[in-house]
Amino acid sequence: MKYVELHASSAFSFLEGASRPEDLVSRAKELELPAMALVDRDGVYGSPRFHMAAKSVGIRPHVGAEVSVEGFGNRARPPSWMLNAAPQRPVRLPLLVKNRTGYQNLCRLMTRYKLRETEKGTGTATLKEVAEHAEGLVCLTGGDEGVLSASLSNQGYDEARSQIEKLTTIFGAKNVYVEVQRHSDVAEERRNQAAVRLAERLGLPLLATNGVRYATGAESEILDVFTCIRHHVKLETAGRLLERNDERHLRSAQEMAKLFADLPEAMHNTSELSSRLEYTLADLGYEFPRYPVPAGETMDSFLRKRTEEGLQSRYGAKRDEGLFARAQKQIQRELALIERLHLAGYFLIVWDIIRFCREQNILVQGRGSAANSAVCYSLGITAVDPVGMELLFERFLSEERGEWPDIDLDLPSGDQREKAIQYVYQRYGQLGAAMTANVITYRDRSAAREVGKALGFDRETLDQLSSVVNSGEWRGPSDNFENHFQQVGFDLNHPLVRKYWELCERIQDLPRHLGQHSGGMVVCQGQLDSVVPLEPATMPGRVVVQWDKDDCADMGIVKVDLLGLGMMAVLEECLELIPKHYSKPVDLAQLPPDDPPVYETLCRADTVGMFQVESRAQMASLPRNAPVKFYDLVVQVAIIRPGPIVGKMMHPYMRRRQKREEVSYAHPSLEPVLKRTLGVPLFQEQLLRMAMIAANFTGGEAEDLRRAMGFKRSEERMNEIEEKLRTGMTQNGFSPETQEEIITQITSFARYGFPESHAASFALIAYASAYLKYHYLAAFTAALLNNQPMGFYSPAVLVHDAQLHGLRVKPINALHSEWNCTIEHAVREGKDIPCLRIGFRYVRGMKQMTADKIVFGRQERPFEGVDDFVRRIPDLKKADLVTLSEVGALNSLGEGMHRRTALWQVERAARSAGPLLGAIPEQKELSPLRQMTDEERLVADFHGSGMSTGPHPMSYCRKALSKLQVKRACDLARLPDGQYTRVAGCVIARQRPGTAKGFVFLSLEDETGISNVIVNPDLYEKYRKVINREKFLRVEGVLQNQDHTISIKASRVLPISITSAETQSHDFH
Amino acid sequence: MAFASLFAPDFPFQAVVRLEPELRSRAIAILAGTPPLARVFATNRQARQLGVETGMTKVQAEAFQDVTWRWRSLSQEESAYAALRDCAWTISPRVQDGARPEGQDFSDTVVLDLAGCEKLFGTPQKIAQDLQRVASEVGFGTNVAVAGNISAAVCAAKGFAGVTVIPAGEEAVHLGTLSLEALRLPFAVVQTLHRWGIRTCADFAALPEIAIVERLGQEGLSWWRLAQGAENKPLIAKDFPCDFEEHMDLDSSVELLEPLLFVLNRLLDQVSTRLRLHILSIAEVKVTLTLERNDSKKKEPIAHVRTLRLPVPTRDGKLLLKLLRLDLEAHPPSSPVTAVSILAVPTKARSQQFGLFLPLSPDPERLEVTLARIQNTVGEGRVGAPVLLDTHGPNSFQQNRFVLPEVNEQHSTNEKRTTAVMRIYRPPLAAAVEFGEGRPTFLSCEGVRRQVLAFAGPWRRKGEWWSETPWAREEWDVEISALRPKVQAGHDVDIESETALYRVYRDLRAKRWFVEGIYD
Repeated sequence: MKYVELHASSAFSFLEGASRPEDLVSRAKELELPAMALVDRDGVYGSPRFHMAAKSVGIRPHVGAEVSVEGFGNRARPPSWMLNAAPQRPVRLPLLVKNRTGYQNLCRLMTRYKLRETEKGTGTATLKEVAEHAEGLVCLTGGDEGVLSASLSNQGYDEARSQIEKLTTIFGAKNVYVEVQRHSDVAEERRNQAAVRLAERLGLPLLATNGVRYATGAESEILDVFTCIRHHVKLETAGRLLERNDERHLRSAQEMAKLFADLPEAMHNTSELSSRLEYTLADLGYEFPRYPVPAGETMDSFLRKRTEEGLQSRYGAKRDEGLFARAQKQIQRELALIERLHLAGYFLIVWDIIRFCREQNILVQGRGSAANSAVCYSLGITAVDPVGMELLFERFLSEERGEWPDIDLDLPSGDQREKAIQYVYQRYGQLGAAMTANVITYRDRSAAREVGKALGFDRETLDQLSSVVNSGEWRGPSDNFENHFQQVGFDLNHPLVRKYWELCERIQDLPRHLGQHSGGMVVCQGQLDSVVPLEPATMPGRVVVQWDKDDCADMGIVKVDLLGLGMMAVLEECLELIPKHYSKPVDLAQLPPDDPPVYETLCRADTVGMFQVESRAQMASLPRNAPVKFYDLVVQVAIIRPGPIVGKMMHPYMRRRQKREEVSYAHPSLEPVLKRTLGVPLFQEQLLRMAMIAANFTGGEAEDLRRAMGFKRSEERMNEIEEKLRTGMTQNGFSPETQEEIITQITSFARYGFPESHAASFALIAYASAYLKYHYLAAFTAALLNNQPMGFYSPAVLVHDAQLHGLRVKPINALHSEWNCTIEHAVREGKDIPCLRIGFRYVRGMKQMTADKIVFGRQERPFEGVDDFVRRIPDLKKADLVTLSEVGALNSLGEGMHRRTALWQVERAARSAGPLLGAIPEQKELSPLRQMTDEERLVADFHGSGMSTGPHPMSYCRKALSKLQVKRACDLARLPDGQYTRVAGCVIARQRPGTAKGFVFLSLEDETGISNVIVNPDLYEKYRKVINREKFLRVEGVLQNQDHTISIKASRVLPISITSAETQSHDFH
Repeated sequence: MAFASLFAPDFPFQAVVRLEPELRSRAIAILAGTPPLARVFATNRQARQLGVETGMTKVQAEAFQDVTWRWRSLSQEESAYAALRDCAWTISPRVQDGARPEGQDFSDTVVLDLAGCEKLFGTPQKIAQDLQRVASEVGFGTNVAVAGNISAAVCAAKGFAGVTVIPAGEEAVHLGTLSLEALRLPFAVVQTLHRWGIRTCADFAALPEIAIVERLGQEGLSWWRLAQGAENKPLIAKDFPCDFEEHMDLDSSVELLEPLLFVLNRLLDQVSTRLRLHILSIAEVKVTLTLERNDSKKKEPIAHVRTLRLPVPTRDGKLLLKLLRLDLEAHPPSSPVTAVSILAVPTKARSQQFGLFLPLSPDPERLEVTLARIQNTVGEGRVGAPVLLDTHGPNSFQQNRFVLPEVNEQHSTNEKRTTAVMRIYRPPLAAAVEFGEGRPTFLSCEGVRRQVLAFAGPWRRKGEWWSETPWAREEWDVEISALRPKVQAGHDVDIESETALYRVYRDLRAKRWFVEGIYD
């Protein structure tokens, strides 16, 4: 007898199911089920994955969902004396989709009540809404969560009968199945007997299901843990909230036949119903919106005209006839392909967003493979000229691929990006556009924390465990739960601890909840809510689809990424600040292309705060690469990536760059492709071109090759392509050795490579940031500080770096600061010198509204003193006043005032004296408190604002350190390579990149700059606690001073006591 | 007016070593919490010098050699504190408990009023030394301070080692050198003072009074006076205790009588010493032995209680020990002993005050007597009130002590009642079940084999998979000829013709069958 499981929930029922859809499918395959339905709680979150997995193994994937409905009463609840009485929840109707109308109805129904939700997961459909959307759907009476169980348990047989009759009225008698489940539970069996009687009386078919919540019995433990997480209880006290047994797993037809031997028709009906469910997600009905064009135009003709205009303005301005002609030809080729693929609408919609941004003065720039397209360049979507740079269009779009192109737009993070997003909503309607979801899954830290809670571990222990669980890229042999548990002093022989460990491992990668993708938007012709259910995002005014970006791509839904880039916001702010304070206009498109001092700065790796080139690894390679022109910067951005590093391309390139190795090519025919990168392939486009030249691949085939070898690689597909490559190369007369070399390069590189177009887009921003930092340091630093958090370094490091570059940074001051950091002007030797004033945004805990009131207040009339200040700004809380006093921001409010005087005065002023004494004049009172010491000032600065504008903490103990032969960062360049050296400083970054084989890189900052330390894996294990926790370190080791790249190879790491100030570090990101 | 304060530093540690003086010179760490979450709760100086810190897990702390571990015992700490209080009562009838250290659940200070004591016991210096000596007799190393007010005495005892006598009017000078921590102020206030750069009592005391009120309010004034040693609070005297208890948790369980008597001897010594301080004798001694549980599923401890009512009050430790030995030989504990408590009732009579307006209810003492009589009849541990537990597990109820229900307690009536009642066999009857074609066919139990006439099942349950005692079972309801005849006086019953419905189950872990009960 055949059996189809028609009621299975996955972990996408968020904490009510314990297996991934893929695991359910593979188990179903093992059990030889011909079809299966995924029916998750209030959504089709897991359906794309379920669909893709089922398709790959030949199982028919039915679509459905359990829909929360009000009007059928609440779910049966355990008795009230139980410790953990479950909250009241309405019953859920398991609905299965028969056809596309049914699917659209299901999506719309769920969207309808989801968008009403005030609290996540609490939305319910009304009976009226269900009735309106019933067409094309089949309704089951459900298991524990269903209407039958609830009415039988709460009110008895007659009520149950009337409820089922209600269902038949809504869905029609043919579309209601009385569900029977058997989980070896006596109460359930009692209900089943009533259900059988009911079905008989009402003439409804019975349907056997197993109410599946996990693939195999073993996963019932995970479901129990999830239940505890959901109800915020411990396993020990969860009682009857937990599963009674582990019977809710997938079963074979034989098992089910045995279980339902007395009800064969219930078994038979599963196949019968399955055959009625024609719909799968293959028939999604998605259509990208059509762009509205003026009468007499088609989208193609309209696009052609806009592109033509762009060609004239962008290429025409370059006054290079050859280039113009090449561009024209390329554009014709691209447009022809776009027409053939019916993609004009997509390009026009992206163009429209760009146009909106330009009109609103929002900085926008396309990134990614779109920069390979001359059409995109002409439409103003991207800023890199693909024709001039000879970029490969096929990397972006090809006829063979049959996929939507991917255009990512970088926008300034914050309000500006929000404006663009809201424009898309407004343009396509709330139900026509939405953000893609981001499925939050359990990772090491979240698993350790939540499982620990369920098992009853205390908060302190969990905090300790979280602090040692490594969240960095590199996972060394010691980065496992076993070691982490040992580090916090767990006894691994204790069964509870072992169980904890095991559960942490098992829970990995299971979905926890749905978040929102940072910028992916999907739009749809017609109603997006009929394609996928929509939900409100946490951020007001945003709507999210139930699928993540990969699912959307798998389902053929086109997306536009509107990504927020902190540096874009910085650049945008610089464009405002520079004309105002330097009296010079600045245009990012017109920056001098090869400004020598900027490249000199880059060559010195003096790049703190610059886009893409500020990381520790970038700094280490910059002096070797020594960029002198824009293309060098493109290479620089691309080279510190897993691709070139894993593919072992970085070192050969650097050697050739430094002329220590001869430039050679695997085959002379590859020279044109690899010439720019000195014979070493660094970009994906080169790889594609290599395949095209060496093995006669077409552009599309080459891109297909890249994708086949990418992340989702299939062994079979790879072999096929490799065979084709070899055949092509043999035909072209490549020797077997050369073939081998090329194939190695391609296979190792395809996976991690970086598109040249993307690198070029980023390099543009990197150059702009370097240029602005060098020429307009005050404006750049102010903008950087106003757009934190971003980049690699903490505000304290950015400020200190700016000071080292000669910028005068003034502390927060109640009389001068604004919410943002601002530029002030000082006159030195008759010259106007811009200085930076730190803004109130850096006062811990202060709100912008309060800061604005201070600014407004002092504009009205100056503050007379602390009492006046407190009285006139009633929004200021005592904590704000204390912090302002601590960081010295109130020192200007009186003569001879120091931080402690301010603290002394605010303590009194903050206590309300009542209306009677409200108008007494300012009390000029001397404080009996002594002034803060240097150390106290440092602690107060870091505690109150996360930075200090005064001397660096290390400068206070330099004398003592010098006696210990500890060198300053600036001294290291003068020391010879190989010398045993000591350095010390504040740890500002700890890194353990995935490509560095467990090596840890530390950046130590002192008053003269940053010294770099390399810690080998063994040493790291030895000093792990010191390295991970201490804020100041002294490191001893051999100095490596090669090619102007300086670092210390640590052989000893010691904690040093410099200050108790709360300095910050950028760790393991 | 003079007050003395008696302070036992590292009190949790002292509570342990007072009963095990041989540990005094060793590095000790006290552990608290349930394994595997056990952490170091307190340490002594020697352990701290080795690097053991409070908050470390047991595994971390075990890395330190030469450290002796003891588990924290609240009962032991409670009796230790009572002993500390006894020391104070030897000098003054007016004794008050000191405040608990911030965030802790124990107290380590006792305060006493010395008014009039000078005539009886000599100078404050001598009194303080006497107090320290008496405390040392009951096993405590203490700091004693005498001052003109309670707060100054308490602060000085905490801040200065040994005996400190602060002459009247010199409180501010003496306390001035102490850090703010000695004042045990609320954390937020200490933070504010630290922000002001105030570190010592003298710094704090030097601030102007009005300015303090303006900034910290009336409470602030009180703390400020505290720092000056001028805070004058009245002493709220405690009542003298009506019994004396000593408790000791044993590191490893004791099976034999001899080592048990060794422990009892130590406890009796302590009780006797304390009673001697008050010139009292023992009228009755109750020994409670906490026994090890074989069945680790249940958490409540088993207690073996023996009470000796002495015809003549005595403080003779040897005699008491002898009597206890005889009693325990006659009534030995059934399992190894894990903790010992001794409660001594001095000769004072118990007094009780009844409320005028309390509703009439059974006299609690008579109720106790009745319950005791029932218990004598049905056996120990078989009297109580059953309470259902929230679990899928078998035997899911616990037996609470019977208490008279509240008059106004109402039972919810809208919850469904169960339709079938099952009488449970305790313990369950071992059985064997034969199966044919996946269904039960025969049940063998108590030497008889019955054919299964009808059945329902299987019903499966499992639970506590995360613990050391996971369980899983498969249950069947079977109808068979009755296993036992029904008790019907005067009639012979044909068992074969009478059928009954039984619940049988298979313990899936032990792989054994049992008859759990019979349906009514």
